[in-house]
Amino acid sequence: MKKFGMIAILLLLLIMTACSSGASSGDEYPSKNLEIVAPASPGGGWDLTARSVENVLSGQKLVEENINVVNKPGGGGEVGWKYLESKDSHSLAINSSLVLTNNLLGQSEMTYEGFTPIATLATEWQSLAVPPDSEYESAKELLEAIKEDPASIKIGVGPGLGNDDHLSLVQAASEFGIDPSQMNFLVYEGGGDVVTALLGGHVDAVTTSLSEVKDQYLADKLNILAVSSDKPVEGIEDVPTWTDQGIDLVFPHWRGIMGPPDMTEEEIAYWDEKLSEMVETEEWQKVLENNDWEGFYKNSEETKAFMDEQHNLYKSLIEDSGLVK
Amino acid sequence: MDGSSFMEGLFISLEPMNILWIIIGGFLGTIVGMLPGLGPATAVAVLIPVTFGMEPVSAIILMAAIYYGAMYGGSRSSILINTPGDGSAIAATFDGYPMAQKGQAGEALAISAVASFIGGLIAVVGFIFLAEPLANFALEFGPAEYFLLMLLTLSAIVALSIGKMVKGFLAMMLGLTLSTIGIDTQTGVYRFTMGIPHLSEGIDFLIVIIGVYAIGEVLYNLLTIDQEKKEKKKVGKVWFTKEQWKRSKWPILRSGPIGFLIGVLPGAGGSIASMISYTTEKQISKKPEEFGEGAPEGLAAPESANNAASVGAMIPLLTMGIPGSGTTAVMLGALIMLGLRPGPLLFEQQPETAWALVNSMFIGNIALIIINILLVGLLVKILDTPAKVLYPIIVLLAFIGTYTLSYSTIDFFLLLIFGFFGLFLKVMDFPLAPLVLALIVGGEMEQNFRKALLSSDGSLDIFFSSGVSIVLVILTVVSLLYPLIFKFFKRRNLANKTDKISKSS
Repeated sequence: MKKFGMIAILLLLLIMTACSSGASSGDEYPSKNLEIVAPASPGGGWDLTARSVENVLSGQKLVEENINVVNKPGGGGEVGWKYLESKDSHSLAINSSLVLTNNLLGQSEMTYEGFTPIATLATEWQSLAVPPDSEYESAKELLEAIKEDPASIKIGVGPGLGNDDHLSLVQAASEFGIDPSQMNFLVYEGGGDVVTALLGGHVDAVTTSLSEVKDQYLADKLNILAVSSDKPVEGIEDVPTWTDQGIDLVFPHWRGIMGPPDMTEEEIAYWDEKLSEMVETEEWQKVLENNDWEGFYKNSEETKAFMDEQHNLYKSLIEDSGLVK
Repeated sequence: MDGSSFMEGLFISLEPMNILWIIIGGFLGTIVGMLPGLGPATAVAVLIPVTFGMEPVSAIILMAAIYYGAMYGGSRSSILINTPGDGSAIAATFDGYPMAQKGQAGEALAISAVASFIGGLIAVVGFIFLAEPLANFALEFGPAEYFLLMLLTLSAIVALSIGKMVKGFLAMMLGLTLSTIGIDTQTGVYRFTMGIPHLSEGIDFLIVIIGVYAIGEVLYNLLTIDQEKKEKKKVGKVWFTKEQWKRSKWPILRSGPIGFLIGVLPGAGGSIASMISYTTEKQISKKPEEFGEGAPEGLAAPESANNAASVGAMIPLLTMGIPGSGTTAVMLGALIMLGLRPGPLLFEQQPETAWALVNSMFIGNIALIIINILLVGLLVKILDTPAKVLYPIIVLLAFIGTYTLSYSTIDFFLLLIFGFFGLFLKVMDFPLAPLVLALIVGGEMEQNFRKALLSSDGSLDIFFSSGVSIVLVILTVVSLLYPLIFKFFKRRNLANKTDKISKSS
């Protein structure tokens, strides 16, 4: 019995080496099944992004090879991206600003430069919301009150400090001359809990993704004081942007996709072609619409420049926020 | 409530395809609920790619059926092999397993199915008439109220540990300690993660459940396997007796509404609902000493409550777009993908979809009681399975279930650690539930306590500032003092009796 086990293992090893050597032998890319890593549990934002990309690429026959979505949750993306680091160019992973902030906050050794930028896909916008009967009717009024007594205004945020929800308001406050490290943030489990806390009057304001509060706003359950987009958002054109209110701030909450280190130019070009086709499809537009996302496509080169620029921005924001000393 | 959309929803849910989805979902839910570690959240998540091709309304009906189906299934393994399939099935081990050991496995399975059914029906009726006001009531719950609700849940440990109070509290402290592992959300500081990124989100309580219950139980039985009597275990009838029904009737009817109300609160859910209903029943019972020894009402009450809670959890999801539990969070993500956005506008813009779901829960509960009663005869055969076949299967399932939690092999080590730890606790005669319960509520309890104090500038008055919080404080105090009161009355009764005896003599 033991012998048989050994033989089976040996055979398996043989097959495995055969496969991996096949992959690296200069065949046309991609030479085997592709993999998109969602560094989160099924059902979360990253997972849905990965599955949408897979669904459109395969469904529209843009990519012939099988694409598997693999979930590697944990450590705010850390586990999934570490996994990607060890894979070959047939694996890609979904990312967001956490790939920058994990390192800046001292929570991870990995840096964004350790991966190959492939594309930026879509963005959401951030919002600042208050209860409908709030005494603050504009973002400026609220910021004035915070400036006067930073601790007096309770602001809900989730699921953790240092994320885009938190940092977008940090940036707005800094622009307004407030020391963000003095502000009173209450951290909730997630976007939904933040909204519940606001509706129940347990916090004075919340900073969260626009999609969490848009329907509530349309149902008159709360008031949105500002959105972080560059122009008014479709469906809620009456909500002013930060720039409309004289605060120089456009803050995308983007999602992108990246590859393991050292991908070749041909491999990168392959994805530039496929993904630029994908974002033009009707199906992708539908995905954007359903999720309240906005198209934010940048190809690999643009994404590289964008990441550098974002890295510098986040670095200064995190310093302002007082999270890292 | 809007009558015509209600009828329209009823017709949608009665479409043959949708009835088929309800049955498939309910059956799947029962199965995943039964298997340790594989819960409704995993099942719904795995089905996401399948739902891509479905009508949104069918998708939501299917996913909801899996959710409440799992509530039926969860207690099956609690009763038969003392291994809860999920947090909400822990309470079913307290009396369900003793019933099975007494040779009443069939009765236990049947009564828990009926309890789930009635609890579900109570909750669906509650949903139809009370969705809106209850959603608003749930908003009243701020950090202080959540903290107190969880404190009340932990006070249940007192009721559970009568006779071995010190051990119960030690287990609870351990659970609370474990719950501090991971990133602290208020400050972003990593606590006790030992540099392992995997631990940054804390230890999943499901691993601990599978470890201490499933693996622990198997190990414990391996130790005692030689002493096991060779005689075949009795499985009892597949239906409960009149006497058992009489004892369970009122607990079921009381626990349904309790579970429903707790389920409506985002973040509370089935574990807390079943625990609170169990202790409530134990405390108002005339025979509390029978609880834990196989009292049918001790099984019926939490079963009614957790199913009602799963229906209640749909209220914040549908009326506010706020997921109240892990499973509803996954559902929300999947529905958004399909272009159906649960939230304040759903009942205005697509009332027929919302009412189709509510009606499907009616049909689903009917389908599930039939499925589960039919399964009783089959499931009791598990008890006849020889240990050498059954235990490897349990271990295998435990590992599979653990892997599906976060697709990581690190969890296997945790599973084994907790398995041996569970064995240790069993050998030392520690109660397991306080440990797991404290781990389930500990993290949230701490965060809510700190949020409450942050928002009150450190003043403890916030815990007495609302009607809800005062009621919760009173309930907790009563619950904590209950053993004293219990003793006092017992002594007085005894004294009375001796009085009478001495008088008569």
